[in-house]
Amino acid sequence: MALADYRDDMMSCVRCSSCKWVPFNQMRSSRFAKNCPSICRHNFHSYSGSGRINMGLSLLENRSELTEKVSEIVYSCQMCGACDTHCKVYREVIDINDVLLELRARCVEEGELMVEHMVVMDALKRDNNMLGEPKAERGAWAEGLELKDVNTEHADVMFHAGCRFAYDRELWGAARGAVQLLQAAGLDVGIAGAEESCCGGRAFELGYRGEAVNFFDDMQARVKSSGATMLVTPCADGYAAFKYLYPLAGVELPVEVMHVSQVFERMVATGRLVPKRDLGLKVTWHDPCHLGRMGEPFLGGWAGDKRDRLRSQSRTGRRGVYDAPRETLGAIPGVELVEMERIRQYSWCCGAGGGVIDAFPEYAAWTAAERLEEAASTGAEALVTACPWCERMFADAARETGSAMRVFDLSELMLESCLPSEKEVVE
Amino acid sequence: MISEDAYSELEQAVGPENVTREPAMLDSYSWQPFLNMSESLWVIRPAAVALPASTEEVQEIVRACNRNGLKFKAISTGWGAHNGPSCEDVVLIDLRRMDRIVEIDEDNMFAVVEPYVCGGELQAECWKRGLNTHIVGAGPHASPLAAATSMHGCGNDSISMSTSSRNVLGVEWVLPSGEVVRLGSPGSGDGWFSGDGPGPSLRGIMRGTSGAFGGFGVFTKVALKLYHWPGPETIEGEGMVLDSTGELPGCMRLFNCAFPTEKDSVEAMYGIGEAEIGCIQVRMVTSELTLLMTPHLFPKLVRKGPAILKLLNEAMPNPFVLLLAGNSPGELDYQVKVLHEIVRACNGVAMDTGHVGPARKLMGMNLLRCTVFPTVFRFGNMFATNLDGNEATDTQNAWAHTMEKDKAGYIRDGGLIDDGGENPYMITYENNLFGHCETVYLYDHRNPRHRDTLEPLAFDTTLAAIEQCNVPLAAFDPITRKIMSPLAGDFNEWQKRISAAFDDNGVSDTGLYTDEKDPDYSRIAPEKIERLHALQKKYRGQAPSASPSASIDTIDDRGNAGSSAGEVDDA
Repeated sequence: MALADYRDDMMSCVRCSSCKWVPFNQMRSSRFAKNCPSICRHNFHSYSGSGRINMGLSLLENRSELTEKVSEIVYSCQMCGACDTHCKVYREVIDINDVLLELRARCVEEGELMVEHMVVMDALKRDNNMLGEPKAERGAWAEGLELKDVNTEHADVMFHAGCRFAYDRELWGAARGAVQLLQAAGLDVGIAGAEESCCGGRAFELGYRGEAVNFFDDMQARVKSSGATMLVTPCADGYAAFKYLYPLAGVELPVEVMHVSQVFERMVATGRLVPKRDLGLKVTWHDPCHLGRMGEPFLGGWAGDKRDRLRSQSRTGRRGVYDAPRETLGAIPGVELVEMERIRQYSWCCGAGGGVIDAFPEYAAWTAAERLEEAASTGAEALVTACPWCERMFADAARETGSAMRVFDLSELMLESCLPSEKEVVE
Repeated sequence: MISEDAYSELEQAVGPENVTREPAMLDSYSWQPFLNMSESLWVIRPAAVALPASTEEVQEIVRACNRNGLKFKAISTGWGAHNGPSCEDVVLIDLRRMDRIVEIDEDNMFAVVEPYVCGGELQAECWKRGLNTHIVGAGPHASPLAAATSMHGCGNDSISMSTSSRNVLGVEWVLPSGEVVRLGSPGSGDGWFSGDGPGPSLRGIMRGTSGAFGGFGVFTKVALKLYHWPGPETIEGEGMVLDSTGELPGCMRLFNCAFPTEKDSVEAMYGIGEAEIGCIQVRMVTSELTLLMTPHLFPKLVRKGPAILKLLNEAMPNPFVLLLAGNSPGELDYQVKVLHEIVRACNGVAMDTGHVGPARKLMGMNLLRCTVFPTVFRFGNMFATNLDGNEATDTQNAWAHTMEKDKAGYIRDGGLIDDGGENPYMITYENNLFGHCETVYLYDHRNPRHRDTLEPLAFDTTLAAIEQCNVPLAAFDPITRKIMSPLAGDFNEWQKRISAAFDDNGVSDTGLYTDEKDPDYSRIAPEKIERLHALQKKYRGQAPSASPSASIDTIDDRGNAGSSAGEVDDA
């Protein structure tokens, strides 16, 4: 696909600005009425979903040129999909997020790149991860867990930690906890350790198509050779890549792909995991964009007039993962879930996505702080989510803003409730 | 092209990060295909866009425009071609950063808002306080400030909350000179509760009947009248708008009414107005209501053929939807009884559809928050309306039927999407004595054949309006204005005088306020041109223009108007 293939999508924008707000029927306050971090931060229409595709049409019609400023605007977007989702509330003929992907690919083609993203891409090529950490240390997070090595052994479940969980030591507890819970549920789990590489999703989102597809192919080969029947990841970014970007690029994974929250729900429902300990905690749930609306599976391409496209073939975000984590939280004794105003398909982003965490860290931090304020407005003591990028953003924002909000991964709460603590084991 | 000096002054006014002249960014403001009859669908690219955060910054921008020979135009939520510049060298003032609900005065029932507050968020805040605000038909994403100061602003709820033009109280207004005038009570430092004093009353000058569409300074704050809300603090919904379900509050009942004749239907509307019942009333045909309840399926059915539309509309002739809301079960029962009595007397039926699955689940928020409007785009990618004025309800109803016949001709010729012809959106207000009707037509703006239809259809609209003694609301359009002004007291001559009196340097973009333009007569049937000329001769003969010079001088140095203000308003 190319930008020109989305000409009709871009022409269909009537500039109604729905893409800037939460769905109007769900609007409950002025404070949390807006949905797009980018236009909230930068204010020019160009920074909205509508504005970006208006600029795309301008470029396509040679009315304007792809300059450094335009590239900066294209990349000042978390690719969170909120604009796309609200647009689809009314109409299904504009795939805003796909247009945004094409704009980024065009930036790469024309060499209008962000320096910070070039650093990320160099790290990816050199060490197979986005954080620039040594490739050999990728499996360090799992030391002592006695997990199978899918490179040499068969395991039913291949666990893909993802770059952030693999290298962000503060988050290792969540990744380790997730695997321990899967083991406790009796699943046969293995990891690729140092051989695990980035899913490639972020590279695709940054517009580096060729490099991304190399990672896609690598992942596909590893999954095939492992013989696993299920691919489980605790990373929402990875989940969305496997579910949407891989098939979009024509790469199929021959296994069931699940986010760890979905496995928890299934294990709890079948009695293979039993949360016992009362945690006595009032929490609110943050829907990661890439687990929710952006985690909706790829529904196939559409070549004709999109007015004829069936609802079932249109990406609306409704098939994202929303209930599994809520069901899981609901099963933990003493956990009271209080919802924020912007949830599910119209959740506010954490700020990290689309390479914003790399290129515009202040803007990313502001976006996360906004979400923490919304979380605090519910009266919750803790914000729970299931994406390492979100957790990193929120933990940092809480520290920087002095927020008392505690940040947990769903796995951490499940671990604490389901399994005996180390102290209990000793006793 | 904006000069370096001028651009530098804009940067000083709002900070370099809040002004742009980057072509692609400017083009994101130029793409305005809605209500756009031009071939390119792009409106004129602004010279620059500036984002002020305060009234003082707006003043600085306006003064910079005065100093540098630039024009300016302000936009808020900015939906439609009328939000773009009408000429070159216009600085677009995007008011997005001015987005505060300054105050909600519960005791005195008004809200003070800035330009970028949208109707949906204001309503959400009002409901929490047992109050409600009028939402314009354009939808909850539109700016209540823009509707109140610069446009007409009718909506589903006009039966109970009138129109935006009637809800405007105090106003803060940056004049084309850069001076600030506070209209009504804020002008005397007495709060925001009144638009007509104590303090200067310039409402007629400021907005007249239809507003200046951004051609007359910048409005930076407005106080809006609020109303009692008998419903809950929030209506809990699940899902998104088209999928969302939300139970109709227990204090409300929804009725679909139908009548054997147009006269019966209008009589019922008058009766309802006289009885002062009703929270929402909209005249929509049954096919439109079906769209609201099956928004995914219905447009696809229509694209296969409009027979189903005709069938539905014939089954429920001359209909309207009425939502009743009561403060108590007793009051609600009373309203229901009154409704049944009126409908019975008018030979109609009133079906209580508020308990029927799809209606119960979907209609409440769609009507109360007016969330449904963008669904109309689902048929053809674009729609427009014959914008008529605001006249007696029966006159508006009759006009709508005329336009349906006119529209049908264009549909037959392939110039519009076939929606069966009948597709009105009509609301009533002020005890239902007045109506506002827009006949909706559907088209695909990517189709040149459809685009070629727009100007002749607009001409027909104007012609039909004159023949039925209406003043089209579309008189903001330069073509319609040029035709209409001589027939209606030379209103545009007055507007030009007012504009000149307040705008020495001509810095406001007056394209939709006072500009005039001839239609492309080559596209109009000669018979229709002859009809227009005959009407012009007839009405100009009966109503010679008043001299604009007589009373304009009564505007004093402080901007206070004499008797001329009322005349302009009436015009």
